[in-house]
Amino acid sequence: MHVPLNPSLAVDFCGLRLASPLVLLSGCVGFGEEYTRVEGFSNRDAGAIVLKGTTREPRLGNPAHRVYETPMGMLNAIGLQNPGADYVIDRILPTLDFTETAFFANVCGSTIEDYVEVTRRFDASPIDAIELNISCPNIKEGGVQFGNSPDMSARVVEACRRVTRKPLITKLSPNQTDIRENARRCIEAGSDALAVINTVMGMAIDVKTRKPVIGNIQGGLSGPAIKPIALLKVMQVAEVARPHNVPIIGQGGICGADDALEFIIAGATAVGVGTALFYEPHCCKRINDGIAAYLAANRMESVGELIGSLDAPKKSVQACAC
Amino acid sequence: MNNPGPAACSIDEKGRGRGAPPERRVHRDTIFVEDGRLLSQQQYPGEQFVIRIQAPQCAAAAVPGSFAHLTCNPERPMRRPLSLMRVDAKAGWIEILYKIVGPGLAALSQQPLGATISVLGPIGNGFSAHPERPRTLLIGGGVGIPPMVFLAESLKTRRAGTPWQPLVLMGSEIEFPFRARPSQILVPGVPNEAIACMPLLDDWGIASRLASFGGFPGCFHGYVTDLAAHWLASLDSQALGEVEMFACGPTPMLQATARVARRFGVPCQVSLEEFMACAVGGCAGCAVPVVQADGSLAMKRVCVDGPVFDANAVFPPQVS
Repeated sequence: MHVPLNPSLAVDFCGLRLASPLVLLSGCVGFGEEYTRVEGFSNRDAGAIVLKGTTREPRLGNPAHRVYETPMGMLNAIGLQNPGADYVIDRILPTLDFTETAFFANVCGSTIEDYVEVTRRFDASPIDAIELNISCPNIKEGGVQFGNSPDMSARVVEACRRVTRKPLITKLSPNQTDIRENARRCIEAGSDALAVINTVMGMAIDVKTRKPVIGNIQGGLSGPAIKPIALLKVMQVAEVARPHNVPIIGQGGICGADDALEFIIAGATAVGVGTALFYEPHCCKRINDGIAAYLAANRMESVGELIGSLDAPKKSVQACAC
Repeated sequence: MNNPGPAACSIDEKGRGRGAPPERRVHRDTIFVEDGRLLSQQQYPGEQFVIRIQAPQCAAAAVPGSFAHLTCNPERPMRRPLSLMRVDAKAGWIEILYKIVGPGLAALSQQPLGATISVLGPIGNGFSAHPERPRTLLIGGGVGIPPMVFLAESLKTRRAGTPWQPLVLMGSEIEFPFRARPSQILVPGVPNEAIACMPLLDDWGIASRLASFGGFPGCFHGYVTDLAAHWLASLDSQALGEVEMFACGPTPMLQATARVARRFGVPCQVSLEEFMACAVGGCAGCAVPVVQADGSLAMKRVCVDGPVFDANAVFPPQVS
């Protein structure tokens, strides 16, 4: 007998109950209120919103141009423009409505001490979780310099772990030799979750002027162009994270429900949406509906049944792609 | 960057806020997403196009200086920010002038009539004309012409309350995106050879003049900012005290406009353009340096903090 299902989109993430697996990614939605300018957009359609990268002191960011479209993607080099941790915590967090969704901080710094100090300040705030951005490719010091070295990544995580009991998420860079080793070290250092992946480094040249289009010369590539890269990284990291019960936010080019489902099947508990918002500000509703329809069609009651359900022969995970 | 300030909001036992009070959330639901329908697309020399799109929500809320963020083609999913040239709130359409500069707008130019074009808008803070300065000098360069037409039309309809005396000066190095003709309106203070105008404005009773190095008949031979300086120099101090300038166009033109405004002691607002991703304030991809009242430098987003800024704030004297 056909039993109609009303599947739940809610996921458990580091002890937090997210109403949807969709996470709006850091740097795409400002400090949580920006997209509410758009009629019909609601923060309630996302399980969590990651606030813009925050540093100890205010940063002006990079010179123009900061964004540029490339085939099925875009480059960005914002340079972590932000008003500093004190301003974010004292002036912005009180204006957010935590009944609408969960809010995660995104912490970045030039030194380990910077990361620790900003993490400590957010620990004393109402923020729901803290994401360590050790993978930003767009600043001269810090960021990806930590994220490309498993040793340095682990040191940042370990130091921040000591100053917070909030869920700690480490955002991993795809711009490194072995993301699995980095993931393992971050987990051992106390990371509660992993965000996979940050943008892929790239550039564009204006052939008329022979100058780089991006003011920072190089930028981070996002959007559908990087989805296959991100998906593979999520699957690889999931192999490392699963035995430790460490959840993953899979991200990179997710535009539709099928994209999100792929990441969940590959092992992500939550899925990030960023560049797709720029294409279609209302995409969260559509993706949520699509995930729910898929779950119902496959007679699943929750997203949890789908996480990591990839049916892949072991040999497909080999390093050689020849 | 938002500057919400300390908020009076309720806090739960975990210290979590329940948001700012409604009066602090006036930004919410101010930008619309519509499936616009392409009503017309008119091509002009130099790969310039004027398109009209049915987008009633955008049309109803737009102000001079607003722009819309359009999906040009699903194969190029990043939107393109384009200034609004005219809107008809009653009929529900918006009109835009653009010039092909890359594959996105090239794709837009290929869209057939009736095509669906996603319109995100209206976006941005518009120009604000002050009644105590009714001699409004509007300067548009190239694809910076559209907001000047919008502002001029707005001043025309607001004439009842204030004796606005707009003068619109337009510059272009390629043919203008309209068929210029000799003006029926006398403008004291502009060189005698400058007689060409934008017919639409002339028909509205709004004075306009054209400038170009292209040798087009009836146009002032030179920069549009030189034409502006020519006119400003003809005014006495009392008349200068009634002038306010508004400009949109390429950055060098805006810098020159800021210099002219300073030279004559006239307040000036400029509309900037920059590459954009979200256009709603989320990504800070369009931020530009702006000098604040206290002299400090801040990065402001062209999309929602602008696109209109005080000329001295974005082109301070030492830079421009």
